[in-house]
Amino acid sequence: MTLKLPRAILLAFLPFFPGVAFALNISLAQIDASRLLVTQNVKVYVSVTNDLGQPVEGLEPGAFSIAESSDGVTFQQIPRIAAFTPNAGAVTGITFLLLIDDSGSMYDTLDSRPTTDPALMRIAHAKDAVRTLVASMTSPADRVGLAYFNTSYHLLSRPTSDRDMIAGLLDGIQRPTPDQAYTELYASLTLAAREFAGIEGRKAIIVLSDGENYPYVQHAGKPHPVFGNRIFSPAESITANQEEGNTIYAVNFGIGSVPDRNLKDIALQTGGKIFDAKNRDELASVYDTIHRQVAGEYLLTYRATLTPAEKKYVRASVASSEGDASVTRFYFASTVFGLPMRSLTLFLLIPFILAGLLLWVLTLLRLERKRGPASLEVLHTQVGHPVTRVVPLTTSKTVIGGSPKADLTIVGAPQLREQHATILFDPKDKRYTVVGTGDILVNNQPVKRRTLESGDVIDVGGATIVFDDEEQGAK
Amino acid sequence: MTAFARRLILLALGVLAGICAWPAAELILFLQTGFPSYLVFSALLGAVTGALMGAFFGSAEGITSRVKSRIPRGMLLGALVGCGGGGLGLLAGQAALWLIGTLVMQSYGNFQRVVLPLSHAIGWAVLGVFVGAGEGVRAGSLKKIGIGILGGLTGGLLGGLVLEYSRLLFPRMGISRLIGFAILGLAIGGFYGLIERGMSFGILRILTGALKGKEFLLNQRRMRLGRSPRNEIALPSYEDLADRQAQVRIHKGEVVLVNLEPRLPMQVNEQKVLESRLKLGDVIRMGSVRIFYKYE
Repeated sequence: MTLKLPRAILLAFLPFFPGVAFALNISLAQIDASRLLVTQNVKVYVSVTNDLGQPVEGLEPGAFSIAESSDGVTFQQIPRIAAFTPNAGAVTGITFLLLIDDSGSMYDTLDSRPTTDPALMRIAHAKDAVRTLVASMTSPADRVGLAYFNTSYHLLSRPTSDRDMIAGLLDGIQRPTPDQAYTELYASLTLAAREFAGIEGRKAIIVLSDGENYPYVQHAGKPHPVFGNRIFSPAESITANQEEGNTIYAVNFGIGSVPDRNLKDIALQTGGKIFDAKNRDELASVYDTIHRQVAGEYLLTYRATLTPAEKKYVRASVASSEGDASVTRFYFASTVFGLPMRSLTLFLLIPFILAGLLLWVLTLLRLERKRGPASLEVLHTQVGHPVTRVVPLTTSKTVIGGSPKADLTIVGAPQLREQHATILFDPKDKRYTVVGTGDILVNNQPVKRRTLESGDVIDVGGATIVFDDEEQGAK
Repeated sequence: MTAFARRLILLALGVLAGICAWPAAELILFLQTGFPSYLVFSALLGAVTGALMGAFFGSAEGITSRVKSRIPRGMLLGALVGCGGGGLGLLAGQAALWLIGTLVMQSYGNFQRVVLPLSHAIGWAVLGVFVGAGEGVRAGSLKKIGIGILGGLTGGLLGGLVLEYSRLLFPRMGISRLIGFAILGLAIGGFYGLIERGMSFGILRILTGALKGKEFLLNQRRMRLGRSPRNEIALPSYEDLADRQAQVRIHKGEVVLVNLEPRLPMQVNEQKVLESRLKLGDVIRMGSVRIFYKYE
């Protein structure tokens, strides 16, 4: 059966949801754009199932098509799929994390009755099912990790290829104390996402739970020992896992148990599914189905478009004699400088020309100094500061000192005499002479009286003063 | 030109570099769809913006040393180095942006307000590092490379953040990217000016002649002094100097001045010497030029 819904309606309802109940379902489990910059290629992992939830195998490349969009509305068809790999999960290996609910209700029977017989408890069935799944992993490329949760999240092993060890760790899951028996489902899914950090390729969390999220802080009436007053939301667990490219497969375990109302969305939005496991055999088969579904994914590699967008929507479609379906997710496609302007105008030339002109003006800065009259310039003072930095030598006598009446006054310098040094001008030979009443240095040599040359550096009580007489220098 | 004026010139050149690079970047961004791949697009975008900014910074030495003939050569070399640095920088920045963006893109509420601006700013910073280092590569100075990296990193981060947040706050403002570019250039120029000073071994201030008042930062291990415009301390208008009259060497934190052409005697504090370990406050005389060695 094929439903011919208008495309816009389909897109409106299907932004992130894997295949709807057509004859075929398609889910876009992962978009790998890590090679986009180098190869311009994007890899998408899709799984196709029929109405019974069974993986559809043997599809040809021609059954698939890819389209990209910058806004999720207008799609551009990709002309051809560059590479097609069936059974991609088996080829590249899958990294699993098995996350087992260890809350109080998991110690009831499958039909929710209290029991003291460990063999009848849900947890026993769950452990058996996990052993079955681990044993069924025949691909040496697969890796599996193990964690469980109740009031807290407990990691037993990060993903490893040592499956015997994983099976052995199941015995470490013990019945929780009453205070540890709450169901922190969302928190645990959020924390579990981190276990895949740094792992590339296909990643899946299989969460086995028998009830709804039952946060400690809400129901125990006191802060959580680790999370405090924080209550995790379903969105957080979705976000955390989408960030890492993880797919969540959820198994609602047990007869008569109320599934968490958001667990289905969590699974769907991360590209996974939710299953109901009614008994041990069914449970074992569900795990097997997930394994086969992941392993049987199709890997489609295509050359991405360059349409500017912060995030790029990818629509993967499948069409065969059994029906058709499509799914849309997005990947991060923002560029460093961001989106382009909607239109270019000639006004853009203005800053370009203006910058060039101003650069030209800078190059025209007066590159050489004009000659001026003789002067004294204070470069530096160890103590105090000059009233003026530059003093032209326009009279026959220029006094340097601490007195306000001096021609060049340096205030706040107690070591300076009122009239520490005097510059005398001899109009006959047009020479300047410095005469010290206190200690002075010229070019770091102590002097009492000295005829000055342009560029001489006079130290007057710690003030460094340059004598400048360009006309003399030009002689 | 004093060290302060040199800083102002570098700041002005930085802003102008950003202003000039902006329209070129807008043009390439507008043509994004027509590129064959993100690789070519990013490399060209980075190369063009880097080349323009590099050309502006390359002109700085010619302008501040008052040797006009250095300006076109500096600009050309700056553009070439900036082209390479910008191309590599934007590729690296793009890779960093995608790495971070992909990891955290689904943080719903925070995506627009935190993730996108921050990841963009990191991309800008990586670009800034390469563009900033360009001037040091051009000058063949490891110190300048370090200075440029710091300036580029700071400017890129600031420019990127200002760009992103001004875009968020004023969505209709079409010049957000211009502001980002100007800040990037300003910070690189500012760092060249500020940190260059802090990482130098003092200043030689010219006391006489046409370049009176000009200050040369001692920020390279070896600096040549003489009439040739190729010298780091170029004194072309002092005709009694040889093309390469002297050399300043930095050795174990000490500044040593060596007279390479003893036909023209060198005096330090009025004592004739061939070589001298300079102390702050020393007065040097070589023919018609007098130089004061100072720190500030």
